[in-house]
Amino acid sequence: MSIELDSVELYFNKRRILNGIYLKAETGKITGLLGRNGCGKSCVLQILFGSLQPKYKFIKIDGNPVLKPLYTQQKTAYLPQHHLAPDHLKIKTLFQLLQLDWNAFISHFESFSPYYNSKLNKVSGGERRVIETYAVLKQEGEIILLDEPFSNIAPLYVETIKNLISAEKINKAIIITDHYYRDVIDICDDLYLLSNGCTKKIEDLEELEDYKYLNLGSL
Amino acid sequence: MIQRLGAIFLFYKPFFLWSMAVNIVLIIVNPYILPSIITKLLLTFFVWFLVHETSANRKLIFYKNLGISTWRLFSTLFLIDITITVTFLLLMKAFV
Repeated sequence: MSIELDSVELYFNKRRILNGIYLKAETGKITGLLGRNGCGKSCVLQILFGSLQPKYKFIKIDGNPVLKPLYTQQKTAYLPQHHLAPDHLKIKTLFQLLQLDWNAFISHFESFSPYYNSKLNKVSGGERRVIETYAVLKQEGEIILLDEPFSNIAPLYVETIKNLISAEKINKAIIITDHYYRDVIDICDDLYLLSNGCTKKIEDLEELEDYKYLNLGSL
Repeated sequence: MIQRLGAIFLFYKPFFLWSMAVNIVLIIVNPYILPSIITKLLLTFFVWFLVHETSANRKLIFYKNLGISTWRLFSTLFLIDITITVTFLLLMKAFV
């Protein structure tokens, strides 16, 4: 399965945010989207998911145009930048609602075992991020959109999350964006840079320096 | 389907006590079914407006991940609430 996003134009009031977006993600591949703060990375993911309506957009799945928001077809799972699940929700209830296996989760994150009956707002922000990232990754959808999955997460968990993302790509098309560019570069198969409202496919990592996303010598 | 309904009940949970308080006011002021349904429809619209116009609309992403659109979420919320309201009004009329 492949998904393409093309011809996006997004305005906030009269300010143009996005104007020349092309992004392609395929099953078996992780697609990375890098860009500076405020360049519109999260907007691209929200447009794909269907929760943000731009002026123009064109989405194709396997070459066929898609007119309805992707979330209505339950093909897509989206991890937003902010908290996903309601604060008052118990972790146990979240796993039941999303039909996830707690024991499988614990096999990856052993230290979370005392939290089964805790509410999401009683665990730390980083731990909550781990739980929510796992929940989204394990959703049945064919397309996974991850907005900053590594932010506020301990390095030990980052490695586990990276392994989980790499394992999930066998059956899913995954699009990931994060400011931890080394982690993104580590796991992604295709990389795009979002700059001045347009995406550029990155073939050689040195282009990230040429487009002034990274300082010279950062790589 | 059950999974989605469970999520909608979860969304309704924080509004339940408010809804019951409105039901008690309705019993005192105007205990008829049609005005109650109209009142609840307006209140549901008000909650939608609050969520839509504030940062609370971020919370809807969770339900969208389960394939529940905003329209479906609020229309089901209204149906659940109206079922509880009508049952409450009928019980009160029968026993009080």
